[in-house]
Amino acid sequence: MVAFTEEMVDVGGTKVHTLKGGSGEPLLLLHGAGGNNGWLKSVDALAEKYTVYYPSHPGYGKSERPDWLETIPDMACFYTWYLETLGLEGVRTIGFSMGGWIASEIAAMCGHSFSKLMLVGAAGVKPNNSEITDIFIISPAQVLDLMFHDPAQAPEYQAVYGKDPTPEEAMAAESNREMAVRLCWKPYMHDPRLTSLLKRVSIPARMVWGKNDRIVPVECGEIYQRTIKGSDLVVIDNCGHSPQVERPDDFIKTALEFLA
Amino acid sequence: MSLDVYYFTEMPYHYIDDELAEQWPSLRLTFPNSYFDPNKATDLFKRYLDEFQYAEEAGFQGLMINEHHNTPSCMDVEVNITGGILARLTSKAKILMLGNMLPTSDNPPRLAEEIAMLDVISGGRIVSGFVRGIGVESWANNTNPVYNRERFEECHDLIIKTWTTPGPFRWEGKHYQYRAVNPWMVPVQKPHPPAWVPGTGSPETVEWAVKHRYTYAAFLTEINRAKQLFGSYREQAAQQGWQAGPDKFAFMICAHVNETDEKAQESGKAFMWRMGHPLKGPREYWAPPGYFSQAGVAANAARRQKPMNEMSYEELQDNYHLVVGSPETVIKKLRHIKEELGIGSLLLEAQGGPLSHEDTMRSIKLMGEEVIPALQD
Repeated sequence: MVAFTEEMVDVGGTKVHTLKGGSGEPLLLLHGAGGNNGWLKSVDALAEKYTVYYPSHPGYGKSERPDWLETIPDMACFYTWYLETLGLEGVRTIGFSMGGWIASEIAAMCGHSFSKLMLVGAAGVKPNNSEITDIFIISPAQVLDLMFHDPAQAPEYQAVYGKDPTPEEAMAAESNREMAVRLCWKPYMHDPRLTSLLKRVSIPARMVWGKNDRIVPVECGEIYQRTIKGSDLVVIDNCGHSPQVERPDDFIKTALEFLA
Repeated sequence: MSLDVYYFTEMPYHYIDDELAEQWPSLRLTFPNSYFDPNKATDLFKRYLDEFQYAEEAGFQGLMINEHHNTPSCMDVEVNITGGILARLTSKAKILMLGNMLPTSDNPPRLAEEIAMLDVISGGRIVSGFVRGIGVESWANNTNPVYNRERFEECHDLIIKTWTTPGPFRWEGKHYQYRAVNPWMVPVQKPHPPAWVPGTGSPETVEWAVKHRYTYAAFLTEINRAKQLFGSYREQAAQQGWQAGPDKFAFMICAHVNETDEKAQESGKAFMWRMGHPLKGPREYWAPPGYFSQAGVAANAARRQKPMNEMSYEELQDNYHLVVGSPETVIKKLRHIKEELGIGSLLLEAQGGPLSHEDTMRSIKLMGEEVIPALQD
C-alpha cells in the first residue's frame, strides 16, 4: 500500500482535511455527498502513478465550513482557492457523484484549474427522461441499498459499510448529510446553468458510469458526454453508483488509461 | 386565577380508514390526494366552522387554528384564510393562529399585512402564533431544512419590524430583501398582536421565546416534560431580570366531554384516528436532515419513551395527551394540569378525527357550561 499523510490545508483561514499520498503529477479526487471514504483500494492504485490529493469538502468530516459556503458553485470557487493555496494548476481530477458536479463547475468556471476531467456517476445535470434519486427523503440504509448493484462483488464493502458505526461516526455521518442538504436541496442535485457553461470546457474529459446506477441515471452521463466537446462515456456492466468501490479493477483500468 | 380556554380542531378529512392508510408509508406528504373528495370537504368545512362559532357562544375564550400541508389530518392549509372567516363569524373570542409557518414563507411583509388585516377586521382579537412548521412541511413546501431556524428568525424580525416601525423602510437581510416595506395595513393591537410560539422540546425555542417574552405553548407534551420546559423558561426569564407569569405558558391537549364517564369513554375513542396514522411516517419525513440541531435531537430522544401512535387509549389518557370523561372527571384532570403547570391558557383539541357533529357539539356545550367556569378559580 502507498503511504499517505493527513494534513490540514489552510485556505484563507478555513482548514481542509486532506489525505495526500503517492508520487508523480498531482491528481485531485473529489468525493460524493456521503463524504470521504478514506484510502481505499482504488485511491491506492491511483497513488501508484500520481500524487493524490483527497480532501474532505468544507463542512465534511474534519474540514471546516466557512460561513459563506452554501452552494455547489460556492464550493467550486472554494476549490480554485484550495488549488491556488497548494500551488497547483492544470491538475488531473476525478469527481465522484456530487464531487463530479463540483469538478464540472470548477472546469466551467476556471479554465486553467484542470488538465483532465473524469466524472464518475456525477450529479449536476438534470436528466430529461429519468430522475436523480432523492437521497435525502429516504434513510441512509435505503441509500446504501440503492448505491450497489451487487454488494457481494465489492471487495471493501464489509470494511466500509459492514460494521455498526460508533456514536461519533453516526454523528459525523449525520453532519455530512446535513452539509449535502445545505448544498444540494434545491434545485435538487443539479445546476440549471451547468450544461450551458460546460460548452466552455475544452480539456479531455471522460464520464464513467455503472450501467445499473440507481442514484444518478446513466442518462446524466450521456448528457455530460454530449455537452463536453470530445469527451467519452465508459459504461461498466453489472455495476451501481460507485464503480470505484463496487468494481475497483474495472474502475482503476479505465481511470489510469484516461489519466495517462 | 383565571384560565383562558381555547377550542381547537385541525379540521380533519377523516374519511381515510386504517386499511387504506396502511397501504402508504404515511398519511403525510405522499398519501395520494386522489382520495380527496372536495364535495365531502365542503360539508366538513361548513360543519367545522359551525362548531367554531358555537364554541364562542358556549363560552370558550378563544378559538385556535393551525395549518398543515399534504395531509388529510388537517384541511386547514392557510391559517390566515380560516382566521379571516372566524374574524367575521365571531365577535368576542380571541383568534389564536398557531400559526403562520415562517420559514416556508418567501414574503414576510405579505404575512405581516395579512395578519394585520385580520387584526383590523376582528377588532384586535388576533393572537399571532409563529411556527417553524414540523419537519414534513420542509418537504411539502420544499424549503431547505438546514435554514429553517435562520429563516424563522429573520422572517419574524421582519414581521415585527413591519408592525412596529413606520414605513417605508428598506430590508437587506440574508434570506429576505425589500426595497420599500410599507404595507398600508397595520395591526389594531399595539405595539403588535400578542405573539406565541409552540414547542415540543427544542431548547433553542424556549430560549428564543424567553428572549422575546412570548407565550410558549407546549403541544401534546408529557406533563413532566412540559414542567421542565416551563421551568427552564421561568429560570431564564429570572436570569434576565423579569418574572414569567401564567400568561407566558399554554398547554395543548385533546379533550372530550360527554354526559357520563362511560359515554365519554365510548365517544372519545374517535380521537384514536388522530393519534394513529396521521402521526406515522418514515423518520426522514418528520426530521429531514438539518431540521433539528444536535441539541434538538437530544431533547427529542429524551422527550418520550413511546411515540403517541403506539400508545393505547388508556395510556394516552394516563399521560394527559387525551382527557376524556364526564364534566366532573374532566374538571378534575384539567385542574390538575392547571396547577401542575401554572398555565394561563389551555388549548383543547375538542374535535378530532371522526368525532361526530353531535358528539362535538355536546362536548363543546358541556365544556362551556360546566368545565370552563370551574377552571376560573
